[in-house]
Amino acid sequence: MGPGEIATERADPGVTVITFSGEHDLNTAPDLRERLTIAIGERTPIVVDFSGAAFIDSSILGAVLDARRSAQDAGLGFAVALYEGAQPVARVLEVTGLDSTLPVHQTRAAAIEAAQGSPSEK
Amino acid sequence: MNEQSLRLTVGAKPGNLAVIRQALAGYAEAIGFGPDSVADLKTIVTEACMNAVVHAYSDDAPGPIEVGARPHGDGIEVTVRDWGSGFKPRPADPDDPGLRLGLPLIGTLSDGFEIRGGPDGTEVRMVMELAPEGRPAPEEERADPEATKGTVMSIAAGTMVRPVLARVISALAARADFSIDRLSDTVLIGDAVSAHDAADFRNGTVGIEIVDDNGRLDVRVGPLVPGGSERIIKGLELPGGTSLRKLASEINVEQASAGSGAPAEYLLVAIDQ
Repeated sequence: MGPGEIATERADPGVTVITFSGEHDLNTAPDLRERLTIAIGERTPIVVDFSGAAFIDSSILGAVLDARRSAQDAGLGFAVALYEGAQPVARVLEVTGLDSTLPVHQTRAAAIEAAQGSPSEK
Repeated sequence: MNEQSLRLTVGAKPGNLAVIRQALAGYAEAIGFGPDSVADLKTIVTEACMNAVVHAYSDDAPGPIEVGARPHGDGIEVTVRDWGSGFKPRPADPDDPGLRLGLPLIGTLSDGFEIRGGPDGTEVRMVMELAPEGRPAPEEERADPEATKGTVMSIAAGTMVRPVLARVISALAARADFSIDRLSDTVLIGDAVSAHDAADFRNGTVGIEIVDDNGRLDVRVGPLVPGGSERIIKGLELPGGTSLRKLASEINVEQASAGSGAPAEYLLVAIDQ
């Protein structure tokens, strides 16, 4: 099982989408933080799409929560996507209560729409 | 060592969290945990180990994490031990929400946990129910807290060895950027060790130490009874011409003595990218 990878994609029009494959923990959290910081610096709406991740831990959630707060402070849209059925990740979001506070959208398209539409989605 | 127990010692580094997670996942699957329980176990083990990685040691004085697993009632008991300066559920940076989620995750996903801390380190003990018949186990002696160079495992010889070793070796080979071919060679070597006659391992415990460095894995197997190394090497001679001597970059046998002073040996296998 290889180390997890994170990628930054640019969706039309001008939304940064961060995607994952494999497992993610404290080892890849700095990479995620850097990508999120760059996106906020570029002042684009941000979508974090966990659908491809096989595992995330609290350091990844921490990076996402920090970025969400920074995005809100900067007036930028921020949304999380997770396809239904991505079980291990859904479980962690559910147990921490973040599935409702973030909130989590079931498709990337819905998350992009939410990020574009609401600069301070709570 | 108790039947069906696992002990794993690695340096307290972020890059080792995946190795620990894979070892425990292989162990839990072998015991009979289903995918959902394995996923929960991976989460609680990662969270407990992350605390040790972040808080136990300073950058200039790194140290080890020791993870133990054994059957407990109908499930598994997992212990995570460090020899650092103490468990800090509240992080140094109070604004870091990630670390504040770790303990609630352990609390919710485990069926019980306790943290014992003191000046000489911290131990987190977690229990997860489920799985078929487990058995209670006696106390274990602790690993050498100085061991931080690589991944040190001891597993009771038997059916547990293969699933745990295969996952750990794959995680380390992937981290060392091995090609797919070399990765499968490496797994083959792990399988040969796993399948080997328990009688050649001293005390019926399969001890393995793996150091991964610069695209190379150094694997040390033992303590073995005298002649055990040669029998493991022979065990990998297949009709197709495959042999440990061809797969490995280097093979050596190290003579040593086991704890009791009885003669013992270690098989040293180096595998390059």
